[in-house]
Order: sequence, then structure tokens, then C-alpha cells
Amino acid sequence: MDLFLQTLINGILIGGILICLTIGFQLTFGVLHVIDFAVGGWTMLGGYAAYWLVTLAGIDPFISIFLVFTLFLVIGRGLGPLIYRVRTSRYARPDLMALAFTFGIFLFMRGGALWLWSYNSRSVESVLSGQFLTLGPVTIPLLRLSAFIMALLFSLGLFIMLYRSRFGMAVRALAQNHDHAGLMGVDVKRVSAWVYGIYTGLTASAGVLIATIYSVNPTVGIRYTLFAFFVAVLAGLGSVGGVLVAGLALGLLEAYVATYIGARYSLLIVFGALYLTLLVAPKGVLGRGI
Amino acid sequence: MASEPVQVRKIVVRALVIIACIVALSVLPAFVDSYTLRIATGALMWAGLACAWNIVGGYAGYISFGHSAFFGIGAYTTAILMQSGIGASFFTTLLPAILLSIAVAIAIGFPTMRLRGAYFAIATWAFAEMLLQLATVLDITGGTAGLSLPAYLNEFFFYYTMLVTAAASFIGVWWLIDRSRFGFRIKALRDDEPAAESLGIRTNLIKVQAFALSAAITALFGSIYAYWTTYIDPHSVMGPQITDQMVVMVLLGGLGTVWGPALGGVLLWVTNRYIWSTFGDTVVYLPILGVIIALVVLFLPNGLISLLVGRRRGRELIAKILSKF
Repeated sequence: MDLFLQTLINGILIGGILICLTIGFQLTFGVLHVIDFAVGGWTMLGGYAAYWLVTLAGIDPFISIFLVFTLFLVIGRGLGPLIYRVRTSRYARPDLMALAFTFGIFLFMRGGALWLWSYNSRSVESVLSGQFLTLGPVTIPLLRLSAFIMALLFSLGLFIMLYRSRFGMAVRALAQNHDHAGLMGVDVKRVSAWVYGIYTGLTASAGVLIATIYSVNPTVGIRYTLFAFFVAVLAGLGSVGGVLVAGLALGLLEAYVATYIGARYSLLIVFGALYLTLLVAPKGVLGRGI
Repeated sequence: MASEPVQVRKIVVRALVIIACIVALSVLPAFVDSYTLRIATGALMWAGLACAWNIVGGYAGYISFGHSAFFGIGAYTTAILMQSGIGASFFTTLLPAILLSIAVAIAIGFPTMRLRGAYFAIATWAFAEMLLQLATVLDITGGTAGLSLPAYLNEFFFYYTMLVTAAASFIGVWWLIDRSRFGFRIKALRDDEPAAESLGIRTNLIKVQAFALSAAITALFGSIYAYWTTYIDPHSVMGPQITDQMVVMVLLGGLGTVWGPALGGVLLWVTNRYIWSTFGDTVVYLPILGVIIALVVLFLPNGLISLLVGRRRGRELIAKILSKF
């Protein structure tokens, strides 16, 4: 029973970070209709940014996460117009072209990171590393708890932005209909670019938290792209609210598989579950829309 | 009927070019050293793989990110059957490899090909990753340690095997797509699936047939590759880099064209080997691939082949480049 409870806590804590990882991705799909293969790439680069900030400048990841967010917000804002251009081009299949484009970006990130930093895993040290909180039978690493809270704060920030600001209203209008939003005076191109920036910022921040809990190396990207896909598909592509449930579901699934079946089977089972979800309920199980 | 002589002349010229290519490729081993021959063998393999991917990606319009799974199925079937316990000869392993890949393609094709666009891409990717994980935990595949095959060190054998397989794939695809009803059906469903279905085309069947054909060719190359390199492990034959290259080669050459994949495959593989021999490793190749995809999507969505055929601007550009030499 203690093991069961401990696994439950671990799963929920990881689930919170998966929420932060996927929520921006969902927003991008809802607004730009782009499936971004580079989610894992942004996660990985966020982790490296935190690593260099703590190694070179000694900034704790829980502080540097804000710097990383800002940095990637700017990078994503710069890249956004290109994504928009590909997505709205007059090629035969703009959706597939956008998929191929982000696939290219992802390959560039993964290859660039391998080239610059080789295969070595690097761990990001925080002052909270190695401290524990004991509550009866369960032990909670303080690091994971803080990362969980941080991830939820970022996600909450996104919700406040979406539902309590004029910009958020423009974003929701775009998600409903590009043409109509444009007619109502929304600058479609600019808002789309900012949405892409917010997405890259959020994903890189999730990457900081992931790198602090585990470690980072250039090949982790694929794994997190698939995790983000899994959460997104389970929630229904484009559904931002559904991510809250789906993220926790994946966190729990991974934790229980790792504890009771064996860690080396966890990826196999997660991918198998993703595949089955796609076959059984390709439109997601938790509804759709922003 | 004024255009008839022009048509005939076009066909004759095309046939002459193809015959010249085949003759040149068949006598090539007599003139080059074994290092260059290995590069040429690899180039033929990648051209053939790109051709196989193009059947699903280019003609059916379904982007598959899971073709490394079929390459791995071919490679592992050959490797497992050639282990000393069973000791099958190389050619007898090809049939089981092809049949197994077709069976898997049909089994996953029927459910996944109902999914559109991005969902299909994600599903095939998840499937390939699942198979990669499976290969690392199973005993029969040797796990992460991989499998060794009996070595057969005859470069000419592998060159000609690859040449025959690649040529057969290209001619077969050209005939199926440009000359048969199957080709019209598959292009119709790519352009507008509901419309094709309403005309009485059994789209699900056609898609799965295309997927199975593509998988079989990919597995065949996987088998030959395993025997050629004599050692395989999960990441070398099922890793995502296999799919990455196939996708990029087709995009670069020209999606949905017969000869585009050949152009993209040969060009990228030679670039890969050149970088490998200059820098000592191929890590820098990955970011270059990424930049190539992004640039092709942005500026040349129809691929390099669109510069060569059917576009006046492209011909003028090439003439301008050639006039500088």
C-alpha cells in the first residue's frame, strides 16, 4: 500500500510537468493548426539553457526558468511568421508541409545539439536537489514538488492570459475562425506568431523542470515529442482544458508501469497505449476546443 | 494529331536516357575502387528506399514516420534466419522477410489508414518507436547487443543485388503509378479522398495495398542491408534516422514524382559520405538535413526535380548555371 501511494504521488508530480509540456502545443494546434514535431526539441533546448545558466552563471534553475521562458518566447516569436507562412501557403498540402517543416526544425535542433554537446547526459543542479519531505509513509523529493508547483503556475498563467485578457480573447477568436477574427480587427499574423512564441516559451520552461529532475542529453527530444503527442491525442488535439486530465493520466501510467512492471518496459507500454488510443478514439477522449 | 511525333520523340529520348543509365550503372564496378563502390551501393539502397516511401508519402498523400519499422523487420528476419541455429541461406530469407512485412503492413494499415494527415503520421511514428523498444527487450533479436550475420565479403555481389532491387522498384513503381489503373486510383484518393470514394474507388483497400507494397520494398532493402553490413542492432536498423533520411530524400527530390526520390536519395547519400570522410563523423549531417527540409518546404515545395522537368524557369536556371562552365 505504501508503494502504491508513493507511486501515486510520483505519477501526479510528473503529470503536472507533462501538462506544462503539452499545453502550449495544444494552443499552437488550436490556433495555427500545426502539429509541431519539434516539441521535444524545445524541451531539450530549454534543459540545455538551464544547464548553461547554472554552470556558467550559477543561476538556480528555479530562477533561470523565467529567463529561459523569455528567451524562447523571443525565439518562437521570431520563428512564428515562417510557420504561419508555410501553413497558409498555396501548396497542395499545407498541413503536411507544415509537419515536414517542423520535422526539419526538430532534426536541426537534435543534430545541432549532438554536434555541439555530444551524447553525454548533463544534470542540472538546484539548491533543492536531494532534499526530501516525509509525510507519513511517503517521501516526496522537494525538487519534484517544487517543479510540479512551478509547472502548474505556468499553466495557470496561460489560462489567465487566455480567459482574462484582450490578447487571450483574440487568441480564442483565432482558434474559432481565422477569417472572422481577421474581420473583427485581429492581426492574425501577429497573434499567430505570439502564440507560437508562448508555446516555445512554455515548452522550454517544462524542459528546464524536466532537466532538473532527470538530466538532459541531445536525444531526449524524441521521447518528449511522443509524450506531448500522447497527452494531446488523449485530450483531443487542440483541447487545452483536456490536457489537465490527460497529463496526469500519462504521468500515472508511466509511474505505475515503472514501479510494477519494470522501467525498461515503460516506453514500450506508453507507445503501445498511444497507438491504441489513436485507433480507438482518434479524436481524443476528452472533448475538444479551447 | 500534330503532337504525336513530339510525343514519340520524347518517349525515345527518355528510353535512351534510361538505357544509358542502366548500362553506365552496370559497368560502374569495373572502373572504381572498393570504397567508391560501397558508396554507390549505399546510394542505390537509399534511392530505392526513397522510392518505396514515395508510394505512400508522395502518391497516396499519407506521410509515414514509421518506415524504419519495416526496414528493421526485413533486417531482423534475415539476421535471425541466418543465425547458426537455423542457418538459412541469404536468398531463402528474402521471402519470409517480404511476407512478414506485408502481414504487418496489412495488420497496422487497416486501422491506421483510417486516420488522416497528422494522426496517421503520429500513429506510424508511435508504432515504429514501439517496435524499436520491442527489439531492445526481446531475446530473439539479441536485445541491445544486436546480431551478427555470417560475413560474405563480395562487394560486387551487393552492388548488383542493390542495383537489381532498386531498378526493379523504380520500374515497378513507374509502371504501377503512370501506366495502371492502380496509379489513377491512388492519385485520385490523394487529391480528394471523399470524391474518389464517391466514384466507387475502394479507398481503404487501395491505401493498404500501397502501404503493403511500400513496406515490402523497404523490408527487402533491410534484408540486403543486414547481410551487407554483417552486424545489426536495434538502433542501426530501426532507429529514427532511417525514416528521417527517407522523408528528406523524397522531399528534396520531389514528392510524388517517379525520379525525384532517385535524385534526392543519391544526392543526399553522397553528401552524407562526403561529410563523413571530411569531418570524420556524420553528426554535422543531421542539422544540415534539417536545414535542407526547412528550405525545401519554404522555397521549393515540388523538389529539385521540378527544376529539371516541366518548368521553364527551372530549365532557364539550369541553362544559366551550365553556361558558366
